[in-house]
Amino acid sequence: MSSTTIDPTPSRREPGGPAHAAGGSGRPAGLSTGPGPSFPRVLNAEFIKFRSLLSSVILLVATAAVIVGIGALASWGIGQALQSSGADPQRSAALAAQGDIAASAPGAGISFAQLILGSLAVLIISSEFTTGMARSTFTAVPRRIPAFVAKLIVVAVSAFVVTAVSLYISGLVAVPIFEQYGHTLDVSSDHYWRTLLINSAYVAAVAAIGLALGALLRNSAGGIMALVGLFFVLPIALQIIQGDVVKELRKYTPDSTLTPMTASQHFPDTLEAWQAALVLGAWVVIPLVLAGFLLKKRDV
Amino acid sequence: MIEARGLTKVYGDKTAVAGVDFTVQPGRVTGFLGPNGAGKSTTMRMIMGLDRPTSGTVTVDGVPYARHAAPLRDVGALLDAKAVHTSRSAYNHLLAMAATHGIPKQRVLDVIEMTGLGEVARKKVGGFSLGMGQRLGIAAALLGDPRTVILDEPVNGLDPEGVVWVRNLVKYLASEGRTVFLSSHLMSEMAVTADHLIVIGRGRIIADAPIQDIITGKDRGRVRVRTDQAAELTRLLTADGATVDGATVDGQENELLEVTGLEPRRIARTALEHGVMIYELTPLRASLEEAYMELTKDEVEYHSLITTGDTAPAQAGGN
Repeated sequence: MSSTTIDPTPSRREPGGPAHAAGGSGRPAGLSTGPGPSFPRVLNAEFIKFRSLLSSVILLVATAAVIVGIGALASWGIGQALQSSGADPQRSAALAAQGDIAASAPGAGISFAQLILGSLAVLIISSEFTTGMARSTFTAVPRRIPAFVAKLIVVAVSAFVVTAVSLYISGLVAVPIFEQYGHTLDVSSDHYWRTLLINSAYVAAVAAIGLALGALLRNSAGGIMALVGLFFVLPIALQIIQGDVVKELRKYTPDSTLTPMTASQHFPDTLEAWQAALVLGAWVVIPLVLAGFLLKKRDV
Repeated sequence: MIEARGLTKVYGDKTAVAGVDFTVQPGRVTGFLGPNGAGKSTTMRMIMGLDRPTSGTVTVDGVPYARHAAPLRDVGALLDAKAVHTSRSAYNHLLAMAATHGIPKQRVLDVIEMTGLGEVARKKVGGFSLGMGQRLGIAAALLGDPRTVILDEPVNGLDPEGVVWVRNLVKYLASEGRTVFLSSHLMSEMAVTADHLIVIGRGRIIADAPIQDIITGKDRGRVRVRTDQAAELTRLLTADGATVDGATVDGQENELLEVTGLEPRRIARTALEHGVMIYELTPLRASLEEAYMELTKDEVEYHSLITTGDTAPAQAGGN
C-alpha cells in the first residue's frame, strides 16, 4: 500500500472543473455540481458493466459457437436427407411439404441459444443481488427504473446482435455444405432475412424474459430454473397431458410462438403469425412491468 | 447535513429502527455508535434510499437521497465492503459507477491512487482481502467528490495503518466542511475519530452529544453511596434531583445506592444536613468503553454470558 496518507492534491478536480472542491461548506445546499445519471450515461455504465464481466463474453461466444456448430451439423444432416430423397419422388414431396427445410438448417441451434442468452440475462441482474452490487447500482441510480431499462437494452440488443450475426455466419457455412449435396440455399432472399431477423428478435425476447425473472427472483439458480421451466419443461408437460384445454394452452407457451412467426405457411394447431407475436409480446411485457414495479418498491 | 425525523423501519414483526430523530451537521465527524444489530446499517441504507422507511423521513441537504439530481456528487457512501460484483475488477467497477454521472476517467484513477488500490485495481474484486474491499468501498464513496460522506464500519478488516488512514481521511473531509457520518460498534475507535456521537441501541437513539460530553460522562456521572438509611436518603436525593437535570436514584441493595446526576459533594451535604449517615461515597468515573456499555446495557440484543457474568459482580460488590 503505497498511498496510505491523504494527499489532497491529486484527489482534487482536474483543471477547468468546477471550483467547488476546495470548500464543501461554500456549496449551496441541495444543488448538485455536475451531471447526474441521465439515461445515456446509465446505459453507458450498464454496457461497461456488461462487457467487463468475463462470463458475459464467454456466454456470447458460446452462443455463436452453438448456433454456427449446430447449424452446420443440421445442414449436413438435412443435405444428406435431401440427396437421398432426390431419387424417391414420394419422400421428396413430403420434404417439400414442410416448406423450405434447407433454409431452416442454419437456425437449428436457436433453442440452445435462447437458453444460454436467457440464462445470461437472468445472471445480469440476479448476480447484482447475490454479490451486493445492486446496492452500488441503485445508489448511483436511485430511481432504479433507468438502470433496469438500461440492463434490458444492453442484454436484449446483445442477444439480438449475437444471434443475428451467428445465424448469418451459420447460413454462409451451410451454403457450401448444401452445395455438396446438390442443393442450393439462398441466403439473400427476403424470406431468409425475415426469418433470420425474427429468430434474433425471438432470442432477444427470451433474454428480456430472463432479465425479468432474474429481477423478480433475485437468485441465479432460481431464475435460470424458472426460465428452463417456462421454455423446456412446460411445453413437454403440456405435450404429456391430454385434453382440449391443454391442447389450446400449448399454442400460448412462449416457445411455441416462434414457429408461427417464421413459417412460410400456416400450420394447423398454431397461432397466426400476428397472434404469436402478440402472445410473445405479452410474455415479455407482463413480467418486465411486474419486475420493474417490484424493483422500484422493494428494498435492495 | 443529514436529517432524520421519526425514521422507522419494521421488518415483519421486528423493529430495526424505532422512530429516530437526529441531525448530522457538516464540518465535523459524527460517529454513529451502537452494538451489532442496533439499527446502524438499516438507518444508513434508508439514508441512501435503498430501504424504504416504514414511516418517517430522512433527507440529505434537505432532499431525500433519491430525489438528488446527481446523487453520487452529493453523497458518497460505503455501505458494506461487498457492494461489488466479485468477478469485476476494481477499476471497471469504479469506471461503471463513474459513468453514471459522467465522472471522468481521471477521477477514477485519482481515487484508486488515493485509496492505495493501484496495484490491485485491475484484479477481480473477488480475490480482495476485507481491507482491500473496504478501500474500494471508500474509493467508490469519494468518486463524486461528495459533500456528504457516509461510511458504515469503514475500519472493519483494515490493518492498523489503514485504520489510521481512515481516521485522518474522515477528519480531513470534515475539515473541508463536508458532512461526515461514520458508524462503528467500537467505542475506542469513535473516541479518537469522532467529534460528535450519536449512540443507537435496539433501534433507538440513546445519546446524541459531543464526544467530550460522552467521554466525561457529563450527564451520566454516577456516585455509589452506602448508607443504613437507604429509603430516607433516596427520598432526599430524589427531592434534590428535581433541581438537577436527570437525577435518578437506583436502589441496588438495601443500603447501596447509585446516584446519577448529583455531585458527591452535594450528596454528602444533603446527607449531613438531614443527619443521614453514609459510609461510602465513591464517584464512578466511567471510561468511554464503560460509558458505552452503560448506555447500551439494556439495548444490546445479544448478551454474551461472559460479559454479563463480568459486569454483574462489578456493579453489586464493588467494595
